[in-house]
Amino acid sequence: MRNVKRFNSVIFFQLVSRNIRTDYLENVTGFAWLILQPLLMLAVYAFVFSTLFQARMPEAAGVGFVPFLAVAFWPWTAFSEAILKANATITSNAALIGKVAFPTELLPLSAVAATFTMHMIGYLAVLLMLQLTGTDLHWLGLIWVIPMLLLLAIFAAGLALMASALQVFIRDLAQILPPIMTFWFFTTPILYSSAMLPASLAPIFQWNPMAWYVSRLREALLSGFSTLGLMDLLVPVLSVLTLILGFWLFRRLRGHFEDFL
Amino acid sequence: MTLPLVKVEGVSKFYPRVHHPWERLRAFAALLRGKENLNGAEVLHDVSFEIMPGESYGIVGENGAGKSTLLKVLTGVISPSRGSVTVRPRIAALLELGAGFQPDFSGLDNVRMKASLLGMSPAQLDQRMDDILAFADIGEYVHEPVKHYSSGMVVRLGFAVVAASDPELLITDEVLAVGDESFQKKCIHWIESFLQKGNSLLLVSHSMFLVQKLCHRALWLHNGRAHMQGDVFEVTQSYLAWHESKADSERQQREQLAGASGLYRISSFAMLDADVKGERVLEQGDSLEVSMTLVSPDGRAPVALFGIVRADGTPVYGVASDFDGIQGVRINANQFQYRIRFPDLLLLPGSYSIRGHCMDPEGLRVCDTVETRFRVRGQSRELGFIRLPHEWSDRGIPIAGDVSRPKEGSGE
Repeated sequence: MRNVKRFNSVIFFQLVSRNIRTDYLENVTGFAWLILQPLLMLAVYAFVFSTLFQARMPEAAGVGFVPFLAVAFWPWTAFSEAILKANATITSNAALIGKVAFPTELLPLSAVAATFTMHMIGYLAVLLMLQLTGTDLHWLGLIWVIPMLLLLAIFAAGLALMASALQVFIRDLAQILPPIMTFWFFTTPILYSSAMLPASLAPIFQWNPMAWYVSRLREALLSGFSTLGLMDLLVPVLSVLTLILGFWLFRRLRGHFEDFL
Repeated sequence: MTLPLVKVEGVSKFYPRVHHPWERLRAFAALLRGKENLNGAEVLHDVSFEIMPGESYGIVGENGAGKSTLLKVLTGVISPSRGSVTVRPRIAALLELGAGFQPDFSGLDNVRMKASLLGMSPAQLDQRMDDILAFADIGEYVHEPVKHYSSGMVVRLGFAVVAASDPELLITDEVLAVGDESFQKKCIHWIESFLQKGNSLLLVSHSMFLVQKLCHRALWLHNGRAHMQGDVFEVTQSYLAWHESKADSERQQREQLAGASGLYRISSFAMLDADVKGERVLEQGDSLEVSMTLVSPDGRAPVALFGIVRADGTPVYGVASDFDGIQGVRINANQFQYRIRFPDLLLLPGSYSIRGHCMDPEGLRVCDTVETRFRVRGQSRELGFIRLPHEWSDRGIPIAGDVSRPKEGSGE
């Protein structure tokens, strides 16, 4: 079959729409949750951090904690959920892979695309709500935010391809991955600002690509960009390289999935 | 020069051993280095064949011979460990009709998914959707989730999408056995018209009838090797003959075991009046007489059981001495002789076996078995294996005048 080895956009969009609908199909309100859930989550964070913890941002005087968190939190959630969801796509679709020949990389890729689509709709709703509740957002910053989110999705897709292919051979990955993602979450300045890191750790943590994404997203939407640095070049290149490496690894292993599923 | 549709060259397939997670890891490390671990189970060994345009091909073989693996290699689901596979035409596989169906989604959604997997574009699907729904014939159920479908409905929908995908080569594996009578008929009709259009079929089946009916050439897979390939009739007949002899030797083994452990046994068994060397031949309507001597260590008369079976083991008739209240003739303290005669044998021409069994005196347990093959010769064109007495009525049943022909007859 000649169409087996190629990227097939028809199958891809079928899988993406199936992925999105699986999450909302059984709900009474259906797709309304796509917007409602992020807003409820925002309300929860506002209550917990502003009222219970009384969290304050020391350096960013003009910005409340909730916008500070929200702007970084949704992209992270999309990134982390995409990888965790995509990880199981090959093993959980064993029956399909064993019966139908199609480009199997579409399974993890569609999981990433679906997760990002859903969370970006939520992100937009959250940003609108922040604006309505009095946060002064730099809407022009979206010019930078959109390509950055695309890069983030590319980074996630690369990692998702690697994880889903490795999962076939190393079943322990499903157990290791969630703690790894949690560790990554707390070592990325999402709940805190990178300025709050101990001086001894800051030089190490600055190499975290997610730290670059998070701080640049905040700057684009809340405070305006600081000076350009080495990471502005390194992280986009790294993200694209991750995707290339992910494809290479996946294609090398793809022909043998069926033997190990 | 016409190119073959499918060219399989020297294909071998090893399934890696993954009993232990560490083996999985080792195999993975080997794959990363670009090598393949070849010390697993070899499921296919050096299989080569070609399918030419307009030709249909059958694959036969025992369970576990590697047929399904070969199909998976052909459809591209798995890659061969060695050798190469070239498939030129647009193919569709009817391996498992419900494959790719997700139970929570409606029939319509699943049709869209399956159609995309089969390479149909959304525009093509829109065009063919009516045909698909008409072929599947499941009515309003298309809007229901597939989990509420009966297995027959899943199969109908699956076949309908495959049929609509307009393949040039259809690969199918025993799926036509599912679905009800009328749907099966529909599928066979569809396959026949599909073949008439000059398309090809690759059929894996245990039904030699179907293989002979639909295929031109065939491949006999045995233990992962191409045991024989060529004309469909030669291959299927050799395959059937092999099966028969295998079943035969198994039976003999079983009988030897039974004989060794039995207390009562057969010391001689002979067909009378037909003691030709080699094959024993009777004319249709001859009588068949058999004599058997049984040994009884305790001096009680064992029960004799005689049976006639067809060459393939189908029982035709059996009778035991105790059914008829017969006691054998005592030859000496431990030996009894039984003789039975079947006059005017009603068997139709063909190959049969006569079996003698020695049972314990209670007639409960078979202790020993002996059998002799014989052939019935004749010119009869009657069907089956036994001639039932019959008579044709000499007065024809009057047919009412042409005017009042039954209605249902004229409908078609």
